Amino acid sequence: MSDFRAPSAREGRLDAARAKIAAIETGGRADFGGLPFGDARIDACLPGGGLPLGRWHEITGPGMEVETAAAPALFTALMAAPLALRGQAVWVLRRDDLSAPGLAGLGFPADRLIQVCARDEAETLSVMEDALATLGVTAVVGEVEAVDLTAGRRLQLACEKRGATGFLIRRRPFGGQARREAGGSASATRWRVRSAPSEPPAGEFGLGAPRLDVTLERCRGGRTGAWLFEATAAYELEVQNLEARDGTHPLRLVAELADRQLAPAQPLHRTAA
Amino acid sequence: MRAVRRLHAASAEAAALGLHAGQKATDALALVPELVTAEAEPEADTTALSALVDWCVRFSPAVAADPPDGLLLDVTGVDHLWGGEAAMLADFRTRLAKSGLPFRCVIADTPGAAWALVRFGEDGTIAPPGGQGPLLAPLPPAALRLEPETWAQIERLGLRRIGQIMDLPRAPFGRRFGQAALTRLDQALGRETEALTFRRPPTPWFARLAFAEPISAPEDMARVTADVTARLCARLEAESHGARRFELCFHRLDGKAMPLSIGLALPGRDPIRIARLFAPRLETVDPGFGIEVVTITAQAVEATSGRQVRLDALRDAALEDGLAPLVDRLTNRLGPERVWRSAPVESHVPELAAARARPLDAPAPEVRAWNREAPRPLRLFRRPEPVEVMAPIPDDPPTLFRWRGQVHRVRRAEGPERIAEEWWKGAIGDARTDNLRDYYRVEDDAGGRFWLFRVGLYADPEDPPKWWLHGLFG
Repeated sequence: MSDFRAPSAREGRLDAARAKIAAIETGGRADFGGLPFGDARIDACLPGGGLPLGRWHEITGPGMEVETAAAPALFTALMAAPLALRGQAVWVLRRDDLSAPGLAGLGFPADRLIQVCARDEAETLSVMEDALATLGVTAVVGEVEAVDLTAGRRLQLACEKRGATGFLIRRRPFGGQARREAGGSASATRWRVRSAPSEPPAGEFGLGAPRLDVTLERCRGGRTGAWLFEATAAYELEVQNLEARDGTHPLRLVAELADRQLAPAQPLHRTAA
Repeated sequence: MRAVRRLHAASAEAAALGLHAGQKATDALALVPELVTAEAEPEADTTALSALVDWCVRFSPAVAADPPDGLLLDVTGVDHLWGGEAAMLADFRTRLAKSGLPFRCVIADTPGAAWALVRFGEDGTIAPPGGQGPLLAPLPPAALRLEPETWAQIERLGLRRIGQIMDLPRAPFGRRFGQAALTRLDQALGRETEALTFRRPPTPWFARLAFAEPISAPEDMARVTADVTARLCARLEAESHGARRFELCFHRLDGKAMPLSIGLALPGRDPIRIARLFAPRLETVDPGFGIEVVTITAQAVEATSGRQVRLDALRDAALEDGLAPLVDRLTNRLGPERVWRSAPVESHVPELAAARARPLDAPAPEVRAWNREAPRPLRLFRRPEPVEVMAPIPDDPPTLFRWRGQVHRVRRAEGPERIAEEWWKGAIGDARTDNLRDYYRVEDDAGGRFWLFRVGLYADPEDPPKWWLHGLFG
């Protein structure tokens, strides 16, 4: 290939192409920033160095968790807690088994949470959409069995209106047969969460702080990975409120689980040589 | 003993022939052999009266049924909508005449005077303010709503006019016929107030629109909803008030009233928002042959500060413009029981520790927040699920349990946290010391965290206490 142009012009064209690719990747969306976990091992994998805000995220659980969704709810509550402190949170359920004392014990501001019990899937999604587009609402959690591409796009548009962040817990609350998996998804990330054995400090009885085994299965504009988290602030009297923790994320990264990586971690953007 | 059949009511034609209510049916038949009778149906009469009360709401929001055969309308402050009491009464007469019911109506200062005039006075009387005395004077004592024995006794004494009673000294009259008779007299003359049981709480926050031509098209209904709401909201705005509940009522040509109501999380008066909340329900209203009047009333009206005061507080602005409309939309669509905020309740019993509060109400300051040191599960089952357990007696956590057909080996456990019944809430004699639950927080070898409890203590080796799973920590 002949290269007779001036290097500066070539650089300029490359820059333009890079900007174009970045624009395609974000889909022309406004950037609402990210919520860093406070640990480079995971923040480096996420676009913008943290959980992307103004997008919606999918959280699933294995086995029985499809019906009970306890570990996914724990993970979601802890990710949404810093957002709820900035505004208002809405949790849309179909089975109203979410316990506010349990949320409060984790450090989630339960007084800033509005719970809504929807009658069916479509209603859950429409309530989520409505809540996401509302001024003052920063985090919306919904429990839905499946979400198709259209519903996902609608959620995304609702998120972009005010920069609220959606969390969609995949749950079949009353058991039964699984529906056919809808192909594709408009979510920014997809997490698979399961409980992990806790490690109480040496010489102490009982259970330690709750631990979660988290796999990032899909991440737009980022990398996948697997980590072990610990909810450090759970059930401790000293930590009255997350606000007192001056911005520390309620999830502490304990270890990176490299062995269960789905794909080799490699940067998506190669530096143009 | 055989019951005597009596006339319950007589039509105008029958009355002209000398029949009257309370007459023995056999006597009546003897007088008028071709008499046609029908069984009295008091329940149906009550239903019809309450339907008539609903119909009357188009004239005034304060309507009180006066069983068995009357109703009272408080027209204070609404007659100007018709251009005076006479015009209102005329309109009332023409409209009610269409229903085919025989009726009499009067307007007076007091319910007692109106009752007397409508039954014993001239139909269509409008007593001038404070002028019911001369009108009542020629009426018989029966017009005072007294017990039949009392007025019969009064008449036996030769007092055949209320005017004669008014001239008597009060104290001896009261001693002779009882305080109730005096009270009735005073109520009729407006010397004593009388409380009426209105069908709806009387509210001065009332607006109505009447149409020259009955409407039935959905878009017309949406338009008149917006118009009547705007009319009421303009008044609320002018007087710096807001309301939490609005009731819209469509009055059909055939006399049926079709009410719709919506609630707001915060007192409001934005006509566009309120009309929008009504909009999805309009299709449930069956216009029948057409709607001639629409009314709206505001309930739970509170004074609210103006918009200007709120702008400085950012949270309030977000609340008013974002959250409050959202909560209103959701509660009106899903029902108020499906949208809530959990509020702490001071109870040790896990399922009672959280109550559902209205989403935007300020939390009660005197109730303590949940104890963060006592771990509570994130998912609390409404109904604890039975588990089979292997646990060393008496007080050890289980080592193994089976839930939904799956065996979980317990790796770590905490407990017991003993939660006994709230004996101070019941009778002291019913309190039992063995009515308790021992809760254990356990973790299985896969990391799942569960909340198990045992009901009662190990007492009878034949009947070991049962174990339940109450929640999941995740």
